[in-house]
Amino acid sequence: MKFVIQRDQLIKSVQDVMKAISSRTVIPILTGMKIEAKQHGITLTGSDSDISIESHIPAEEDGKVNVEQIEEGTIVLQAKYFPDIIRKLPEKTVEIESDENLKITIRSGKAEFNLNGQDAEEYPQLPMLQTDESFEIPTDLLKSLIKQTVFAISTMETRPILTGVNIKLADNKLSFTATDSHRLASREIPVKEANIEFQSIVVPGKSLNELNKILDDTEETVEISVTSNQILFRTKHLNFLSRLLDGNYPETSRLIPEQSKTTLHVKTKELLSTIDRASLLAKEERNNVVRLATKDDSNVEITSNSPEVGTVAEDVTIQSMEGEELKISFSSKYMIDALKAIEYDDVKVDFTGAMRPFIIRPAEDDSILQLILPVRTY
Amino acid sequence: MSRLNQKKGRIIFHIDMNCFYASVEMAYNPELKGKPLAIAGNPEERKGIVVTSSYEARAKGIKTTMNLWQARKLCPELIVMRPNFERYRTASREIFKMLSEVTPLVQPVSIDEGYMDVTNCHEQGNTLDIAKNLQNKILEKLDLPCSIGIAPNKFLAKMASDMKKPLGITILRKRELHQILWPLLVGEMYGVGEKTAEKLNAIEVNTIGDLAKKDVYQLKQVLGINGERLNNRANGIDDRPVDPDAVNDFKSIGSSQTLAYDTTDDTEILKVMEHLGANVERRMKRKNAAGMTVQLMIRFHDRRTITRSRKLQTFIDTKEDILHVANELLQKHWNLEPIRLLGITVQDVAEKQTISQQLDLFTYEKTASKEKLYKTVDSLTEKFGKNIFKTLNENDNKDLIQPTTSFQKDFLDDFKR
Repeated sequence: MKFVIQRDQLIKSVQDVMKAISSRTVIPILTGMKIEAKQHGITLTGSDSDISIESHIPAEEDGKVNVEQIEEGTIVLQAKYFPDIIRKLPEKTVEIESDENLKITIRSGKAEFNLNGQDAEEYPQLPMLQTDESFEIPTDLLKSLIKQTVFAISTMETRPILTGVNIKLADNKLSFTATDSHRLASREIPVKEANIEFQSIVVPGKSLNELNKILDDTEETVEISVTSNQILFRTKHLNFLSRLLDGNYPETSRLIPEQSKTTLHVKTKELLSTIDRASLLAKEERNNVVRLATKDDSNVEITSNSPEVGTVAEDVTIQSMEGEELKISFSSKYMIDALKAIEYDDVKVDFTGAMRPFIIRPAEDDSILQLILPVRTY
Repeated sequence: MSRLNQKKGRIIFHIDMNCFYASVEMAYNPELKGKPLAIAGNPEERKGIVVTSSYEARAKGIKTTMNLWQARKLCPELIVMRPNFERYRTASREIFKMLSEVTPLVQPVSIDEGYMDVTNCHEQGNTLDIAKNLQNKILEKLDLPCSIGIAPNKFLAKMASDMKKPLGITILRKRELHQILWPLLVGEMYGVGEKTAEKLNAIEVNTIGDLAKKDVYQLKQVLGINGERLNNRANGIDDRPVDPDAVNDFKSIGSSQTLAYDTTDDTEILKVMEHLGANVERRMKRKNAAGMTVQLMIRFHDRRTITRSRKLQTFIDTKEDILHVANELLQKHWNLEPIRLLGITVQDVAEKQTISQQLDLFTYEKTASKEKLYKTVDSLTEKFGKNIFKTLNENDNKDLIQPTTSFQKDFLDDFKR
């Protein structure tokens, strides 16, 4: 195998693929990166058996030559050293060559690295997914679906299923839901021309976080296909395959209150920065608790106190309030996460009592929902 | 202002009960007096170690934490008794009651020792008389001997009470430091353990006097901030107030058990874990507390000991929750070598009053169903002040007779009640 490649292109691909490679893995060869050279281009593969990423660099794209002098072949090299080597090479192009003894030579300018490779035959075959059952959504939309929900997954292994994001596709509606049982984030978007439906799959939060890092913020589409135990995200040059979590995701829709006893309309930024300030005195070991109390039609008071440190109180101007008076305590962290995820200027907060979940939504958009369980203070 | 004045010339007592458990047993059964007596965990099994012994037993070389069979070898006529914690608790409660009749500034440290600040007690007579009266009263009413150290601060009082036993009263004045305290080896200083003593000896600090004169910078290099603290103490400086509320500052609650024999038997080990979990839960209930970190201690057959802990996101207080985490730690960190001792400790403990509970999406209905009750409690609390309600605890009295050898501070709650 041999080829000469534009270094910038290679760096980007290597970085993406490295997201799937772990130095600790049950199958030793997975600590390596697979490089495959074909006449139409180069494909890099990395996998930790939970996530597999394939990045393709076409030989030629938009009249620009990325890879030249291609002699077809495949090799696996040690991923630990590869990214740093490529990044620090002196010239704009890199020549990579492997021989029948699995020796790899990397040349750039006057620098030459000789590395030991491994036989690509031993690298596990990535499962091929049946791709005619798929649907497409714009990449930037997928990224915001992820960003608006994935932060709410559980980091505790006590309920493994909650460490994933629940994805549903039915009636041309795609929904993402995540909860750690203390707060819940969900968003629903319409999807055109989906020729598949699935009721409830659960994608590990870690996979979605990595995917979000790799995907560029473009309007180009991502093709998504799902099997019983895997999900594939495919863009022009990238295949991102993740396993699904086993088990039943709890039914959350019936847990979301439908009526409201107190409704506030408020500017997202004002509420966010007030809570952020109050949270300075809220302590993690006390659930970061801040208290919200309605005052009149145009003000709510946010307070927090830490017996050893001191207290803080601040009024937030609200656009309007309907319903009963209310005093409620909740985690400032959850509130900040939720408000940041909403991405709208105005929000509506619906409360149903001091011991019941409350809901934050954009004032004009019901598709995004952030739910938080309050904190009971003794 | 009064606090500032106090600092100038404080008078602190350290009360140390002599051979407390053994003395209590002798008070209950005077026939035991004058005989070598040891209180031990479990006389039948290996885990029986000497918890306390009478002076007669100590004269034969018997020491605390010694194995029973060793002790019996040294002193064949040794009388061995299981601990009766309920008796010790009762006695302790009575003692602290007497101390607080002298001054409200009493700080219990453990079941058998405590500090008193008697600076402002001059109307009760001169200091030495107060001490003598107190010692006599405890001896007459409870038949229990104690030693009292009198000094201008807690550290010196503690050192002083140790100097004359039993039934001693020792006054340690600051100007006498260099004669009385400084010639002693550093290892004898309160707060200096075996490890610290070794480190100090390595930099040619052998006596408390050496420590007092040593360069603070160098001590800090070796012992960190504790180096400066110990240097201060050696110079007779200790500003800590006698804090009657210190008892309530508990940071961890735990329980440990030495196994009857080294084992790798799963069922055996899980049984012990179960038992420890129940112990911890009981102690947490008694303190009305909950904690956020669970620590597991494993001592292997070769005495190698590891502790592994896990911090949670929420407070827990039930046996199930504690065991869930503890067993997870065991699974993860036990290398299957034979185990000699297991311990479970819950750390980052706080009183439930001061903590809050993050409600859970899947269970909030249970709490919410009591919302009206809580609201009423809240509004009544606002009207009448805190602590007007108390949750009745069925287990309140059942757990008093628990034969455990581990050191318990729980009794102090009784004193506070």
